[in-house]
Amino acid sequence: MIDQLPEGESIGWMQAPPQWIFSHTVRFVGIVRVVIHDGEGFILIKKGNALVYYFKHGRIELRGHAALDYFNSQPTIEINLCKYTPEEFSEALRICTIEKTVLKSADVQKLAPIVPGPEGVGEKTADDSSAISLHDQSPPVLLEPSALIRKEPVTALPTKPVASVTERQVIPQPAILDDPSIKIIGQIKKLNGIVAISVFNDERNILLMGDVEIEPLLKIARSMLATSTKISPHLDWGSFIHMTLQIPEGNIIIAPYHENHLCILTTRTINIGHIRRILRDIQQDRNSGIPV
Amino acid sequence: MLKQILNKFLILNDVQAAIVIQENGEIIQSMKSGIVIKEELQGVLATIMLDSKKTAAEFGNATISMVFVEFSDYFLILGPVMEEFYLAIIAKNTANIGQITYEMKKNQEAIVSQL
Repeated sequence: MIDQLPEGESIGWMQAPPQWIFSHTVRFVGIVRVVIHDGEGFILIKKGNALVYYFKHGRIELRGHAALDYFNSQPTIEINLCKYTPEEFSEALRICTIEKTVLKSADVQKLAPIVPGPEGVGEKTADDSSAISLHDQSPPVLLEPSALIRKEPVTALPTKPVASVTERQVIPQPAILDDPSIKIIGQIKKLNGIVAISVFNDERNILLMGDVEIEPLLKIARSMLATSTKISPHLDWGSFIHMTLQIPEGNIIIAPYHENHLCILTTRTINIGHIRRILRDIQQDRNSGIPV
Repeated sequence: MLKQILNKFLILNDVQAAIVIQENGEIIQSMKSGIVIKEELQGVLATIMLDSKKTAAEFGNATISMVFVEFSDYFLILGPVMEEFYLAIIAKNTANIGQITYEMKKNQEAIVSQL
């Protein structure tokens, strides 16, 4: 099914906790492609409302809340936000609806053959297609934030079909980054020589694009941030734009980004001038109150 | 002689100061134009040098190639010359960074020979 869905306009791959998706897609219309280990799936989202959850690993297929529960059992997942036009969105919904009809008629809610999954993941199919409406006309399913955060870590896929769940209502979390911000970060990530880019604040990493371990990177970014915070009050040189630490392996750049901070990891071959211009533009827009 | 080398930086557009400084903030030599180097600035440079060295060490025990700190009006480039000696360049944001870093690399050996 995944292959049949429209591509959409990719904003870029990133690593984020599953909860992040729901708190950052209030204005997003499209598909969030998900990769966990060797499996892949997606969430179809229309302005904060998740309409379809799907995940497939080998012969195991998870739908609806079973898929959502599996996503939420992961501390972070690889995701790619792809924007859809209204036509693409309708097409995606149509494909999902057809798929659901086919599945129902084949009575595939029964258990699938035992297939070992990632990290000893569940051995049976958990199909919960009844949980989520696949029709565009039907009321969107709103999920409680609490339902998105598992209190206990889950290391395996659910082994039993999840009980039929009626629609759960919830207030979406306030977005920390809006669509244009995510797009900008995605555009920076696409530049030649950018290894990873992270948006972080004093408490946590908000967004990471790139294949790096976040904790060591955050530690370095916070050290640099502490240095910039120490020196800035002593210099009458205007507002802080960025600090770049060049080491033989590449560059680590930190810069303010709205009320958060950016950390960019680059190769040595990066065009620093280009990055500098982008960071200056962000700073100027921030100072003039233009949303970036 | 060191002054002559540092003067090569001052002739670059919008460069305000070229300083050879030790990690502890002690200035070995400086050339400046339209800028006053106060004790506060020495403290800032020392903080950047020491903190950056520590931060780079966290990154697989890496050594610093350069530190670049930019504000809306001025920027600062710090490059290690040898051991605990650094070359610091302060410039207006309109200065050509490529030109400055090129001159820093080109003159490194000459500076080392004077220390």
